Amino acid sequence: MIPTLNDFLLRLKSIFRKKRMDREMAEELAFHQMLLREKLLHQGVPQSQANAAVRKTFGNPQRWHERLRELWQFRSIENLTRDITFSLRLLKKSPGFTIIALLTITLGVGANTAVFSLLNSLLLRPLPVPHNDQLVVLGMEEGWPRLNYGFPEPFFRALESKHELFQQTFASFFVNKLLIRGRSVNENVPGILVSGDYFTALQTPPLMGRYLTPEDDRPGGSPEGLAAVISESFWSTWFSRSPNVIGGKLQIANTTFTVVGVMPKRFIGANPTENPEVFVPLSTEPIIDAPHNLTKSGFHAQWLVVIGRLQPGVSLEQVNAALKPMSMPIVRDTVSETDWITRMGKVHFHFVAEPGTRGFTYIRFFFRKPLVALFAMCGGILLLACLNLASLLMARGAARERELATRLAMGATRRRLVRQLLVESLLIAIVGTTLGLAVAPLASQSLAVMLMSGNARNGTYLDTSLDLRVLLFAAGVAIVATMLIGLIPALQATSGNLNEHMKEGQHANTTHKRKLLQPIMLASEVALALILVIGAGLLSTSLYRLFTSGAGFNPHGVVNIDLDIDKQPLNGDPLLHLYRQFGEAMSHQPGVASVSFARVVPLTHTVLESSYARQGGQMQDLYMNAVAPDYFKSMSIPLFEGRDFRWTDTTASGLKIILNQSAAKLFFPDRDPLGQHILRGSEKTDFEIVGVVGDAKYEDLRNAAPPACYEPIMQLDDKKPSLTAVIRTSGPTAPLAAAARSLAAQLAPEIPAPVMATMDSIVEGSLSAERVMALLSGFFAGCALLVTGIGLYGTLAYNTARRTSEIGIRMALGAQRAGVVALVFRANTFIAAVGTAVGLIVAILASRALASFLYETSPHDPWVMVISILSLSLIASAASLLPALRASRIEPITAIRCE
Amino acid sequence: MIREENTDSGDLIQGTLEMLVLKALARGPLHGYAVAEWIHQTSQQLLKVEEGALYPALHRLELRGLLEARWGASENNRRAKFYQLTTEGKKRLNAESQRWARLSAAVAFVMQAT
Repeated sequence: MIPTLNDFLLRLKSIFRKKRMDREMAEELAFHQMLLREKLLHQGVPQSQANAAVRKTFGNPQRWHERLRELWQFRSIENLTRDITFSLRLLKKSPGFTIIALLTITLGVGANTAVFSLLNSLLLRPLPVPHNDQLVVLGMEEGWPRLNYGFPEPFFRALESKHELFQQTFASFFVNKLLIRGRSVNENVPGILVSGDYFTALQTPPLMGRYLTPEDDRPGGSPEGLAAVISESFWSTWFSRSPNVIGGKLQIANTTFTVVGVMPKRFIGANPTENPEVFVPLSTEPIIDAPHNLTKSGFHAQWLVVIGRLQPGVSLEQVNAALKPMSMPIVRDTVSETDWITRMGKVHFHFVAEPGTRGFTYIRFFFRKPLVALFAMCGGILLLACLNLASLLMARGAARERELATRLAMGATRRRLVRQLLVESLLIAIVGTTLGLAVAPLASQSLAVMLMSGNARNGTYLDTSLDLRVLLFAAGVAIVATMLIGLIPALQATSGNLNEHMKEGQHANTTHKRKLLQPIMLASEVALALILVIGAGLLSTSLYRLFTSGAGFNPHGVVNIDLDIDKQPLNGDPLLHLYRQFGEAMSHQPGVASVSFARVVPLTHTVLESSYARQGGQMQDLYMNAVAPDYFKSMSIPLFEGRDFRWTDTTASGLKIILNQSAAKLFFPDRDPLGQHILRGSEKTDFEIVGVVGDAKYEDLRNAAPPACYEPIMQLDDKKPSLTAVIRTSGPTAPLAAAARSLAAQLAPEIPAPVMATMDSIVEGSLSAERVMALLSGFFAGCALLVTGIGLYGTLAYNTARRTSEIGIRMALGAQRAGVVALVFRANTFIAAVGTAVGLIVAILASRALASFLYETSPHDPWVMVISILSLSLIASAASLLPALRASRIEPITAIRCE
Repeated sequence: MIREENTDSGDLIQGTLEMLVLKALARGPLHGYAVAEWIHQTSQQLLKVEEGALYPALHRLELRGLLEARWGASENNRRAKFYQLTTEGKKRLNAESQRWARLSAAVAFVMQAT
């Protein structure tokens, strides 16, 4: 072993000390020559003869150097550099091929890495906390298909003390808009309510100060007052990293909190999609949420995410076994309504623990399937890119057979030739993957922004930064791609007998020997492309139908302004007056057609429900919304019968209600609903129906418009409703935001700057997953068509070029040009037909996986299938026709003479 | 010992030349010229080491770690590259001498047979 190692080290040294080595060799030889000459002179040989003898002994000094240097060099490295320069020269000679090759591989690798980093950040990355494998997420089994992860506060408090199972149990609630007083006005900051053991369980030491403890998580806080912990970035922006921040005061929700600690940047809490800046004790919820109080709502409010850290040595199974018997007793202890307890008993209510290494986020439920589907598409496009490159390289290799054979005849070994071919493919693969990896972060970031656009209002985000897992994945993709691209052409080159090609060359007598591998690869390309095109077609059809299905209202030109008006002291009639003032002022803005208010903005996944009944009829749970006059006008919801609300429809003037068409049909299938009465809730509050409006989608666009009731805001029981202004405008929206801000500052200085969103953006945001999927799959399908076209064209062009003289002879013997076109064209027709058939079968089998993403679109939609096949055939025909036409223009005489 | 990539090693086959070089260096460090001279003299002017074979052999032995090279002053005070046996080289010389003794004895037996 030692000689080999020594050998290696010395050779390595020689690479870096090339000049010195050369000099030393020259010196050694000169010394020898000198001694030799001296000896000869000593023996009495005349000067000139001695010189001649020395020259004769040593011969050409250049050759000496060569021989000694060769000894010292790594033969393989020398050859490698030579291969690389040669390959680079070849690639430079065909820039079209090189660019296409690089682009395809960049696309494949880039897309895969980008989507994988999304997948990683949402589904795979563990929480950056110590011993995260001990964390479990708690849920409640209530007989629904999915666990309920929203805990009522009393349930959590009962679990918090179960230390025999958990070292700690903590609850948290993300508050996207924590009201914090800045220099002059209140600002919204993403914050989080956390229970006492939150920080202890997450085991991350604070950067400064201390973290919150169970003492802080008591009503009224610890004896020192209310405590808050801030994040490093909040510390930077609000306190300019001042070391005196500990003990500083913050006005949160108009109440004084003391900053007790700063958490380091790497701490993100237990939800990977949130970035809370301020942590306040869970017990302060009544202050933060005022005038609401989820804590007081007891078991009616299901809001807390509960996570536990297991005692060491306790397994998930043991915890679940122990949780089951303790569940119903907790319900009985904390719930006062016996109906509810009985119902929970019937569905075998119990707590469930699930692995929580990766924390918990609701976003996972929305995006897991779309991301996995996207990832599968990316895999397809990568495979396609590799197949395409491999077949192009093969065709190129075939066209170069003669050159290779010549080099073989000149004494190059087969190994050297194959190695050169491999180096060429590897160069493309390596450069392409590097480019792909370079664009991946940008792509994943923009994808994340697009995906999360619907959730941006809730303050969630996706951290797509690179980590070890993404890098490993990228490396894996790069290696697989390189192998696929490089190996196949190399295998082919070794399989054929190159000597034969030397003899054959371009001679016409060769029957075109088709290797089986190439058509199989091309057919798989066609099949893959068809699958991608069909998938994209289905997804875009579905998206198109979603957009055009009609929401029941017209989102174009509607602007929503969130007012958060509950953060100011007025309530009841004075508050309504404030809303009216605001609306009045906004309606005078240029372009504004009408202004109204609503409790719930449609398509934001927020729902209000009430039970209603016709007199003497069954109670029905119905969607409801509270709206101001002109709401239907602002939203362009048609009023079919009766009238709109008026500001004079107060409680004193009698309770009024407007139904949508479905609700009207539901309650009064037999008669005109106008003037009829319906009753609400267990109190049987009586409402008079004053109007019937068109159906409109409520929770999201995917579900049909539900039956719904509208109550006027003037008659709400809630004396402090938080309303959103709904404005229809024909002008630009930007000036409206500024106007709303100054108006709000003037009318209610306590509220934070109002946030504006166009209804269009809400519609788009609510379809973000569908949009990203349709967009990406469309993009991939386009690329797939292009890549397949290029593959078919390139391979056929190379193959046809090899048959030039054959075609020349055919034509000389009387073949018609049309016949030649058909001859060449036919070569690809079979491949395309087989590929299409296989692709269609696979697509029909696989498209079922897409069914859950599709809206009013069958996964076997015949139109999508037909159009996909047509577009693919079109591309394939165009790609095959070009070489065929070129072949038909061959002049027989030149073709034969060129031999 | 006889390798495929046989260089023009004059009258001596490569393995033998290497053995002789090792032997020449057994008494202490020498430069290339002195190695050739020593072999020439010691063999009663029977063996002539070609320069074209000597230096590649020296460098090859150095690469294999059997020799160490060091620049020093020659007898006439010129800078010269001196070669010296390593421990590995001494071991190899031993093994080679034994092998050679056996081989030459065997050849002698055969050739002296009547």
